[in-house]
Amino acid sequence: MANLGKTLRTPLSRVRHLGAARLGTEENWLMRVTAVALVPLTIAFVWLALSLLNKDYNGVRAELSRPIPALVLLLFALVGAYHMQLGMRSIILDYARGGAREWALLANACFAAALALACVYAVLRIGFV
Amino acid sequence: MAAIESKFSSLTARPLSPHLGIYRFTLTMAMSIAHRITGAGLYLGMLLLAWFLIATSIDAAAFAAFTTFIRSAIGQLVLFGFAWALFHHLLGGVRHFLWDAGYGLDDPQRERLAQATLIGGLALTLIVWAVGYALR
Repeated sequence: MANLGKTLRTPLSRVRHLGAARLGTEENWLMRVTAVALVPLTIAFVWLALSLLNKDYNGVRAELSRPIPALVLLLFALVGAYHMQLGMRSIILDYARGGAREWALLANACFAAALALACVYAVLRIGFV
Repeated sequence: MAAIESKFSSLTARPLSPHLGIYRFTLTMAMSIAHRITGAGLYLGMLLLAWFLIATSIDAAAFAAFTTFIRSAIGQLVLFGFAWALFHHLLGGVRHFLWDAGYGLDDPQRERLAQATLIGGLALTLIVWAVGYALR
């Protein structure tokens, strides 16, 4: 407002394209939120994996059809896929330049989404089919 | 024209800040690199989980193909690597959480945290591996 008498440009036009607005810390924050969620989920996942070791095909299916193991797998796959997508994204942004960066970001998003959906589909199929 | 071009190239070829090459090796640096490498390893390793779940959802033959692979020497090596990367990255994440909260940044503490990540990750992997073989 102090410059009001000196220029006709609005304050908004002067700050546009100079950097992140509102969403600058979003990725950083989501990385940390998913990381914290993955601490108990990873422990539960390892526990579940160990409990499957002495089971045959029918035993594994029966175990994974129960609500808590199925929910552990769904959450681990979904939160894990989002977390790993964010991590690979920052690796790509650090090392890839030019057109390769755009293709790598696209491939990363597709891979993470496909992995998450494949896991969710499989868990639901085990439980309901 | 030449003056403009040289000025332009000096803008595009900006100086880089000091990078890996000029620093002395430290454990915290190695653990930072290891955190990224284990993260990238887990990224690919999640394919194992997807394979396991999809195979289990299809039929007994697909499930048997997965278990045959995972019980083979190569499968066990891959699974051991996945387990180690998982625990190392998990503990690395806890370390970063402490740092984000402002704890453990001083000289002795950050070294202890780096050592704890390295040793803890290996110890947890071996413990889970031993439990796994005992249960099997």
